[in-house]
Amino acid sequence: MAAIETTDLTKRYGDLTALEALSLSVPEGELFGLLGPNGSGKTTTIEILTGQLEPTSGTARVLGHDPVADPLAVREAIGILPEREDPPSFLTPREYLQFVGDVRGLDDPEDRIAEWADRLGFREKLDTLATDLSEGERQRVMLAQTFVHEPDLVFIDEPLVNLDPIMQAEVKDHMREYCDRGNTLFLSTHFLEVAEQLCTGVGIIREGELVAERDPRDLGTDERLLDYFREEVGGGETGSGGESGAHDESEELAGDAGR
Amino acid sequence: MSRGLSVRLLGRMVREEWRLHAELFGDRFAAFPLLVAAVSGLGFWLLTLTAVSTEAVAAGLHGLVFFFGLQVGTIGLVGRDALRDVLGDVTLLVFSARTLPVTWRRLLGVFLLKDLLYYSGLFLGPLALGYAAVALSTGAAPATVGLLWVTTTGAFALGVGTSMTLAGVGTRSRPLTVGLVAVVAVGIATGRLDPVALSPLAFYQAPSLSTALTGFGPMLALAVVGPLAFQPADSGVARTATDRYSRLRSMFGDAGGSGSAGGVATRTVLEVARSSGSVWKVLFSMGVLFGVTALLVREVARATALAPSYGIAVGTLLGLGAFTTYSWVTQFDDEREYLRYPVGMSEVFAGKRTAYLLLSLPAGLVYLLASLVWVPAREVAVGAVVFPLVAVYVYGVTAYVTGLSPNELLFDTPLFAAFGAALAVLSVPLVVAALAYTAAPTVATGVALGVAALGAVVGVVLSRRAGPRWGVKVR
Repeated sequence: MAAIETTDLTKRYGDLTALEALSLSVPEGELFGLLGPNGSGKTTTIEILTGQLEPTSGTARVLGHDPVADPLAVREAIGILPEREDPPSFLTPREYLQFVGDVRGLDDPEDRIAEWADRLGFREKLDTLATDLSEGERQRVMLAQTFVHEPDLVFIDEPLVNLDPIMQAEVKDHMREYCDRGNTLFLSTHFLEVAEQLCTGVGIIREGELVAERDPRDLGTDERLLDYFREEVGGGETGSGGESGAHDESEELAGDAGR
Repeated sequence: MSRGLSVRLLGRMVREEWRLHAELFGDRFAAFPLLVAAVSGLGFWLLTLTAVSTEAVAAGLHGLVFFFGLQVGTIGLVGRDALRDVLGDVTLLVFSARTLPVTWRRLLGVFLLKDLLYYSGLFLGPLALGYAAVALSTGAAPATVGLLWVTTTGAFALGVGTSMTLAGVGTRSRPLTVGLVAVVAVGIATGRLDPVALSPLAFYQAPSLSTALTGFGPMLALAVVGPLAFQPADSGVARTATDRYSRLRSMFGDAGGSGSAGGVATRTVLEVARSSGSVWKVLFSMGVLFGVTALLVREVARATALAPSYGIAVGTLLGLGAFTTYSWVTQFDDEREYLRYPVGMSEVFAGKRTAYLLLSLPAGLVYLLASLVWVPAREVAVGAVVFPLVAVYVYGVTAYVTGLSPNELLFDTPLFAAFGAALAVLSVPLVVAALAYTAAPTVATGVALGVAALGAVVGVVLSRRAGPRWGVKVR
């Protein structure tokens, strides 16, 4: 069964087409990576699938729910980690996760908070104001809020931004284990090495159009995802890993124009 | 060399401010000074019809401009994080001390000067023009209008400097800040400190070397002390906090609606309390507004044959002043953040309403109760009824018109005009009732209570509609 299914999903802002007839199927248990250059439509796709943005046309089902007709049902069932999102400045991680527990209706937030703080290594920072955390620590707190309610599907935009190499490895392991348990992870990233190592399926998007889908595990021994990516998007600015925190500025501008 | 740097910084900060507003509001921004001139001119003219002298109007204007300066200066109270929450990923030059070889004090000093120049040109200038049209038609000397522009600019600077100084001292010692405010308040209350004599209004009322020194001296002193005292909040010190969320959350119970609304209310109150200035900034801004209104009521009574209703006037103005509390409770988030949680916008606005009422009502009622010392209990009781009803109306209108971004009102001309008109619909009848109190106290009070109650009903309806409206708009 597909965790995510879209048919001809399109988003336009006036004359600008951010997403063009995207048809995609992501099966349950997949660790799917959506790759593409800056401004190609990755963030728009995630925002539509998570019910944050309405498409101009086309349909989508996320865990059986329609994100246009019933966005709350979708958000209840999933976890979301947008790029460049920090926990509220004047709450501590503990309080922020309690707030998340409140809006998600969790009965036992304290145990879960302790568990995730241990797992992501910020237990000693649980009572520090978020404004005084390092960027890496804030990212860990945001990762915790994504998984704390144990959703079946999560959407993550650049999960490894600002994390040190050890934490990057641990988060990668966690994402693998998460999908091994039958859950689905939809990832948007500029790190092609990460996609190559982790993903069981990738889609390449260019100027709002899905131009290729591939299972990175099928790459030959002398093949690299980077070469395949270059072939599909025609070179360009994105591709190699190692650059953290590159921003989809044009996508955001398009998003702002539509609000 | 050093002065050259400050001048260059000033030029760039002015340009930055202009671009910031143009980015936020587009072309609509340019029409704002015209609207200010038109609205203020109309307001002054209406006041002269009620036999209020232009001198009394000028005094009130100084008070309001001082209050505006206090609000503008609260950038120091709010800090970089809140600015980022409101404006997104914006880095302003004032925050560049960590990356550039420029001291924080110099940046803050230049920032203060920039605010003064910028707002005196865009806001105070049109305000003086609006006043000029009315004052000149009543026979006032043209020099008086020029003088008004200079002294209201001074009053604005006094407001900004006061905010900055309180924020600056607060970064070193909160008890000292509270102590300073208490000393000034006691001084004014006991008559040992004359706030008018220590403000530019003194120079406006009686221009002389002596009033220039006493009137502008405190303003200059605060402009120096504020930046000197300030220690930036983003100092890298890891501040810890005990878990207040659970305790506060259980206190709220299901107030405001579902669990989500309670969560939003809890989070909001904590954010206001934890940000610089804490809940005191709510009390402080209400206090200034209360002082200005009480002073105005006294001046109107002195300058005219009218004896306005203290309760209706103060209750109305405090209710309108609760807008600043709305600004505080929406300072740290926006609608889009809540789109990532399974929470409806109606619940978000219900939670915000709880936080708004919880913070604004006690703050206003404290001052009304304090006025029992010199005002009859009946008048205070009227104010205590009018104030919450108007505050509910203000919440509904603000939430419906601006969503969680009330600061967009500033310089968004059509939005500002719509918002101003909506507030005028309620406040004008109330002000008229306050003035008509002289002739028919019972009828005026009855009408005021009825109008305020009707306003509260409209406020409740609008606040319920705000959630669905903004839920659709942001998607």
